[in-house]
Amino acid sequence: MNLIWKLLKQHVSIFELGVFFVANLIGLAIILCGIQLYSDIKPLLVGENSLIGSDYMIITRPVERFGQEPLRFSGEDIEELHEQAFIADVGAFVSSEYEVYGGVVFSGQRLSTMMFFESVPDAFVDVESRAWRYEIGDKVIPIIIPRNYLNLYNFGFSSTQGLPQITEDMIKRIELDIELSGNGLEEHFRGSVVGFSDRLNTILVPMSFMNWANERYADGSDAESSRLILEVADPASPELATFLRERGYVAEEQPAESSKAMYLLKVAIAIIVVIGVVFSILSIIILTLSIYLLLQKNIDKLENLMLIGYTPRQVASPYVRLTIALNTAIMLLGIGLAAIAQQLYMDHLSLLAAGDLPCSPIAAIVAGVVVAGATALFNIAIIRRKIGQISRKR
Amino acid sequence: MKEIRLSNVVPEIFAERDDLRSGVWCGDVCFERGKSYLIEAASGTGKSSLCSYLYGQRGDYRGSILFDGVDISKFNTEEWCRVRRDSIAILFQDLRLFGELTAIENVEIKNRMTHCRTHAEIETWFEELGITDKRDVRIDRMSYGQQQRVALIRALCQPFDFLLLDEPISHLDDQNSDIMRDIILREVAKNGAAVIATSIGKSMNINYDKRLKL
Repeated sequence: MNLIWKLLKQHVSIFELGVFFVANLIGLAIILCGIQLYSDIKPLLVGENSLIGSDYMIITRPVERFGQEPLRFSGEDIEELHEQAFIADVGAFVSSEYEVYGGVVFSGQRLSTMMFFESVPDAFVDVESRAWRYEIGDKVIPIIIPRNYLNLYNFGFSSTQGLPQITEDMIKRIELDIELSGNGLEEHFRGSVVGFSDRLNTILVPMSFMNWANERYADGSDAESSRLILEVADPASPELATFLRERGYVAEEQPAESSKAMYLLKVAIAIIVVIGVVFSILSIIILTLSIYLLLQKNIDKLENLMLIGYTPRQVASPYVRLTIALNTAIMLLGIGLAAIAQQLYMDHLSLLAAGDLPCSPIAAIVAGVVVAGATALFNIAIIRRKIGQISRKR
Repeated sequence: MKEIRLSNVVPEIFAERDDLRSGVWCGDVCFERGKSYLIEAASGTGKSSLCSYLYGQRGDYRGSILFDGVDISKFNTEEWCRVRRDSIAILFQDLRLFGELTAIENVEIKNRMTHCRTHAEIETWFEELGITDKRDVRIDRMSYGQQQRVALIRALCQPFDFLLLDEPISHLDDQNSDIMRDIILREVAKNGAAVIATSIGKSMNINYDKRLKL
């Protein structure tokens, strides 16, 4: 048997270590269950792509009766939105104030339709493209269309009508014939689709083009906007929901119910995790005291070992190993308990979900490694510090 | 390490005394490798303090102690560990053995770190010193004289340039004291090392190169 360990295991209190083990295991298991539960429920409440899309929301003022002019946002309204802490940025949609005809030549036939353009400040556009710029005099207008349009055609229309499916690249190669008219002018441009947006459900052109065209084909009066795009830190935040409701603003495609559920979920999980953290902290305090007591009781042996030439690191190593073993065991058991709990609640959750839910305790494993690792490092630092103090005692 | 030099060294508690008559304190003393020194002292003159200073246990002195010209007050923990493993072996007055371990384990705990001696060498010393039968007995069940012999064996389980012996034979009879001396002189000669022994009366029968009065 290792002689150092034989010497230094004196005064190791099985009872104190046992209390630490149980308390820390309970704490860790609660933390891991909470985190795992959160990561399992979150995708049920928030749609796909929410990580990208959820930071932005589009608001309007509702149309209340047929034929009503849409209500617009005044400069003060926008100013007020800017001032809210939970809103990071506000962008206004600018619509075309002139007539737009779009046409395409398709197997010798010219198809043409009335359409409209809108613009938002570039910061809100989720398409990265070098083609997305317009300078006055350019004959080509870059256009971004919603990816939905393409999906609608490919999956809704073409497949049922026996038409070929088209890819994004194919659309980008099509040259559109754009006719703008207003203010007694009628001019032709070419249009080119440069990208597809998941965020903006409209036909977008660059703001620079829009400003120039509104000036040229309309009176250029600074029209107020009927739609705004907001960048928000947390679309599920209750302050935001309350604010929008009080002002009578309506968020497009805002999952109101799920955001409330999401909020309640966050609160519930936070409470669970806090309880787990309290348990863990108490258990770490117990272990810390126990280590101090242990080192204090063995101080003569530690001192003598260093006097016969052992380094502080060598002397600390039995305790360091003990700590690592304890924390590893706690980590494995904690992750195991979280995985068992996951199996139990997943049976209920899967009733809510349409398909099979992925059931892997990844979140618990990652959190377990992080928490147990941090605990072990903290313990090791305490041991090294205390032994360092003993070695310098002269 | 070739030499240990004490320059104007005095324990802090003696620093204000003006009646100090000492061959070591407040003087310039040099211990050289290959020689043997006896430091004779009355109790309370700081004999164990001197050993503690030389071994880096304590630093409550004035003046400077130099190992090969380097001031030891600058040594960090790592450097002291190296000195204690490779340069200075010590037989503590209070032995500092581990009561929970057996005689052989007390020796092994050092030798496993230095890998300096073979099992056969260690067994031979046990035999020569007449404690083979105590080999597997816990230290705290042994007499002080027996413990002293175990502590010597442990001290020899490392390479050294200086062997510090703090009252090495205080609890030994003359016969055992001579056996110990023979082993020490043999190992010191093999290492080309120096012996620095202290005594408050009884001292090992060696032809010391220098005797100092503390």
